[in-house]
Amino acid sequence: MPGIDESLLETMRLPGARGALVADWISGLALGAVGEAPGGDAEATAAETAEFARLAVESGTLAPATPAVPATPGTGSPPPPPGSEPPVQDLILTTADAYHLLRFVSTPFDSTVFLYLWLDRTDGNLALARIRLAETADRLVLG
Amino acid sequence: MTTVARADGSAPELLDRLAADRATGALSTRAGIFYLSAGHVVHVESPHSPDLGELLTRSGAVPPAGWWEAVERAGTRHRVGRHLVDSGRLTAGALELCQLGALFDAAYCALAHGGTVLRFRPGVTHWLGAVRPVPVATVLHESWRRRELLHRIWPDPAVDTAPLTRTGGTGPVALPPRRARTLALVDGVRTAAQIASASAHRTFHTLVELRRLAADGLVAPAPPPPAHPATGAGGAAWDEPDTALLRRLLDALEAL
Repeated sequence: MPGIDESLLETMRLPGARGALVADWISGLALGAVGEAPGGDAEATAAETAEFARLAVESGTLAPATPAVPATPGTGSPPPPPGSEPPVQDLILTTADAYHLLRFVSTPFDSTVFLYLWLDRTDGNLALARIRLAETADRLVLG
Repeated sequence: MTTVARADGSAPELLDRLAADRATGALSTRAGIFYLSAGHVVHVESPHSPDLGELLTRSGAVPPAGWWEAVERAGTRHRVGRHLVDSGRLTAGALELCQLGALFDAAYCALAHGGTVLRFRPGVTHWLGAVRPVPVATVLHESWRRRELLHRIWPDPAVDTAPLTRTGGTGPVALPPRRARTLALVDGVRTAAQIASASAHRTFHTLVELRRLAADGLVAPAPPPPAHPATGAGGAAWDEPDTALLRRLLDALEAL
């Protein structure tokens, strides 16, 4: 069963992966990090991506408290039951040279964490990375 | 019984020194206990934050019977965490996430409530066992960062310790689910730590929601109760809410 480090290292095997971390979207704490970080500072990356994640989670319009969740095929894992946290599954931020992927981790206890992956835009496969990151997030907690 | 080392100085100072010495043992402060192994923090306990067992059982992640079985079977060997994973109750990842959450939460609470050191007991280890040891410098830096984060949201530390009351109007307010659930537990009596415990949430994460609610004018330290002789010396404890109210008034006037 994978722990935090094994999960991050698994993520780094994706083509184009430059760095990955697990962070808490309320405190901004990095719970684990591997590879490079944009700007060279994993702690700053965790804090800034956490703020981005928090705004998405707390957005009343984009992330309703009880989302109507039709099954969406091909998105990695099934949608969570209505009312479960977090209401957002993932975030994708695209820049000229990179994809920044955030995947929320759903835990039965209070954790408020997400996986973050920094993906090179030339070598990375966004669709594949998104599916793998979702699987990794599930395995981290469910085994 | 291990020897009790005489400790002087503040908790951060002493933790730094113990880290440099790669010490193993338990450092007790007025508001918590730091367990070190080879100079790394392996566990922290504070009466102001829910512990790992509370976070796991009160959320339903591990049934209470399962938790106590792990404590009974593996407690004396200091391998309760390992036992939870080996017996299939939790994945290694889930245990690490929950344990780190509890560790940084307790460390923040222990340091925020005054870091006066009482004693260091060399060689003492916690029954949970090492799950994911953290460098002392990381724990201290994170606690400082958390204090700054709370200050940026709403600079009134009274929210963290006083009984809290709702101050918003009667109309419904659209709040993120987590904040709405926190607000629902504000009843004029509970403190932040009691609200955290009631919701099986970490205390710091509850403080963040409460300071945001205070910044929105929805929550404030409760006003003093009607004057009647209470048990013990309760008078001093009620000074803080008045200060907080005055500070908010001042802020509001300055904003005009």
